[in-house]
Amino acid sequence: MRWNSPLKYVFLLPTVIWVLCFTMFPLLYSLRLSFFRVNIGQKDIFIGLENFARAFKDPNVWNAAKVTLTFVLVGVSIQLVLGLLFALLFNRALPGRNVLRTIMTLPLFATPIGVGYMFITIFHEEGGFIRASLGAKIPWLSNPNWAMVSVILVDVWNWTPFVFIVLLAALQSIPEEYYEAARLESSSQWELFRYITFPILQPSIILVLILRMSEAFKVFDIPFSLTSGGPGIATETFSMLTFNTYRRFFDFGYGSALAYLLLIAVAIIVTSFFGRIRQAYT
Amino acid sequence: MRRIIGYLVLISLFFGWALAQENIKWGDDGSLTIITQDDHEEITIPADQVGTLFGPGEQPFAGQRIAITVNTGGPKGGISGPLHQLRPAWEQLTGAKLDIVEMPLPEQLPTTINDLRLGLNQFDGFIEGAWYMGEYITPGFIIPIDDYIADPRFPHWDPNWMPPSLRNIYTWENKFYATLNDSDGQVLYWRNDILSDPEWQAKYKEEVGSDMPFPVKTWDDVIAISKFFNGKNWDSNDPDPDSGVVLHFKVNAQGHFHFMTMSASYVVRPGDTVDRCTNNYWFDPATMEPLINQPGHVKALEKLQELAQYGPEAQAAWDLTEGWDYFMRGKAIFTFSWGDVGALVQDPTRSKIQGKLGASIVPGSTDVYNMCSNAWETLDEPNVVGNTVGGSWQGIISSRTPNPETVYSLYSLMATAPVHSWNTQRGWTGVDPGVSIDFLPPNGTATLEGYEAAGWNPDDVKFYTQAYYDNFYAKTMMPYIRINGTEEYWRALDQNLSEAMIGRMTPQEALDRTAEAWKGITERRGLDLQLKQYQEAIGYHP
Repeated sequence: MRWNSPLKYVFLLPTVIWVLCFTMFPLLYSLRLSFFRVNIGQKDIFIGLENFARAFKDPNVWNAAKVTLTFVLVGVSIQLVLGLLFALLFNRALPGRNVLRTIMTLPLFATPIGVGYMFITIFHEEGGFIRASLGAKIPWLSNPNWAMVSVILVDVWNWTPFVFIVLLAALQSIPEEYYEAARLESSSQWELFRYITFPILQPSIILVLILRMSEAFKVFDIPFSLTSGGPGIATETFSMLTFNTYRRFFDFGYGSALAYLLLIAVAIIVTSFFGRIRQAYT
Repeated sequence: MRRIIGYLVLISLFFGWALAQENIKWGDDGSLTIITQDDHEEITIPADQVGTLFGPGEQPFAGQRIAITVNTGGPKGGISGPLHQLRPAWEQLTGAKLDIVEMPLPEQLPTTINDLRLGLNQFDGFIEGAWYMGEYITPGFIIPIDDYIADPRFPHWDPNWMPPSLRNIYTWENKFYATLNDSDGQVLYWRNDILSDPEWQAKYKEEVGSDMPFPVKTWDDVIAISKFFNGKNWDSNDPDPDSGVVLHFKVNAQGHFHFMTMSASYVVRPGDTVDRCTNNYWFDPATMEPLINQPGHVKALEKLQELAQYGPEAQAAWDLTEGWDYFMRGKAIFTFSWGDVGALVQDPTRSKIQGKLGASIVPGSTDVYNMCSNAWETLDEPNVVGNTVGGSWQGIISSRTPNPETVYSLYSLMATAPVHSWNTQRGWTGVDPGVSIDFLPPNGTATLEGYEAAGWNPDDVKFYTQAYYDNFYAKTMMPYIRINGTEEYWRALDQNLSEAMIGRMTPQEALDRTAEAWKGITERRGLDLQLKQYQEAIGYHP
């Protein structure tokens, strides 16, 4: 087939249609909605940027932003540290290492929404597993601070294996010769980690960090099933607020504006992150 | 080969036998006996209530298939259970197929409204909460059923069984849109064995210095008794201390209904008229100004906070079933909740307190806030206000269905007196009593023997049915709203109440924030439309 054959457009067409229908159309349609007041059975009214202005005055939005940021910063940091530690541990020659590695990765295959419901039975303050086995009466779900801790703990349980798998794969790709050569200079494990392991792992850590952060900013399923955003609105994340606004209250205009605000915020954070990385590596 | 053929024959015989199982029986007198799906219980409907549509060998809707949405619960779950249990019988009667589409409570309204709005029309009917009705009625998504009710072809149920308070939430502008099913309202439950025990009454007097205010008349009485019992191991079921009260305040899980129930007596002034300060609760009916942050509401929330501190701390994150289970395990003196509690208490697999139950209409308050004069009024007798809080889950028919008669035939079968009673006498069905056929004489036509045959304790039945009769026939009722956006108004209230109950906001802050949110909702949805619907909802005539 000649490169300038018109047939190439036929092959491109399915992809173009897919992108237009399933990426561009929803994006543009929700962008349009965000500038309108939409009520079922009534004509849409153009209100310009009013939905966006409303978001900045809405205390629930500020609360959701705070909850989401706390969740991302604390949760992803713990996952990263734990995932790295486990990867370093399971990269060593341990008895039953393969079995333990498999067990370590199991939470990753559990559906987050189901995990949330499962942990209700573990955290239940009267008859839950922790209360029954330890006897400790901790207000896991009824106290706003503890509820946030619970949500983060469950997310850490669910997603640390992802960090573990990626970093373990990266660790296993480091040639043993590097360490053998380094041991001629130093036998300190810390120095080996600092000057060999960590620099080589850095690109993988950054990749994991970006993937987990962009996912964590959108978190919905675990707080939805575990706490319903409560008590009060102590664990209501930005995605939950957007979902409730759009789907439960049919406030399509405002819900779209909130979705765009989240999109913009995540885009800014991830792009600036990429920018810093690019600076560091060029 | 012979062996394989033999197995195939056996399997075919088994399935043939299974399919041939009868789910209905016709009596010689024309009566119809329905056999439930799981427990194979028999419910007999007399011939004069069956209607002419069904008959031996008749299958009037053969080949049709309908889909009904309902709360997630499964074959033995609240509200969904009765559909499952009756499905085989109804399918055999009609020849039609029934798809039961279960959805979690928060998903039901969005899913069905989106379906109707987009014209997908996947569902023929909905078992909906009464507060959704405005959302369905305004765009014309459901149809009135008065003609069907009067049609002798369908199974017979009588709208006159309903008290006016319930009739109000099954109708819209005097037209019936829903068939009789559930009757929701909260009443006060207590441990009668403990509170009527002279020893505990003496201990109360010794510790508090006054007689135990029992039977309770006001919310202050409930608070005082709860305070006394909380933290004491007054029940021998376990060695742990017990609670004075148990409620449920998990956000998005109907906890706000507790506040509505309790606050009504501080807010709803009795009288023959309807205006801002009489028989009103939510908005100023002339302007749609939210009244939720008025002093009566605020004081009620303060009282609720005070009461809740005598319950388990965990109740801040509990949904209603967790609260019920705590009460049924014998861990709390009081709860105020729906009819499910009284019926579930009769199930010895879930309850330790059968025969120990007391129930009455919720207590009142001697202080009522007048929202016209902006002053508190003190009454000689407590202001006791009945309520219909909750969903009163009821069957409605989509205006888009090609098979409305098929749907109505199912709903009307469920509304017949024998099926309705079967439902209300079994706690797991989630169908609560509220109509004359549920009450004992002289209030109604039910019999003590009927309840006893379903495993009820006779003393519990007397308390329970009288409590519900008093509640639904109360002289003053809390107005119910079903206007557009009720879900959204209540969600804002629920969230802020939950914030107040965990101490992150004061009652005044929580209700001020609710009022602000309500103003925004009204403005967005259109003041004129909201005002008109609200005036109609509470019977206000400008």
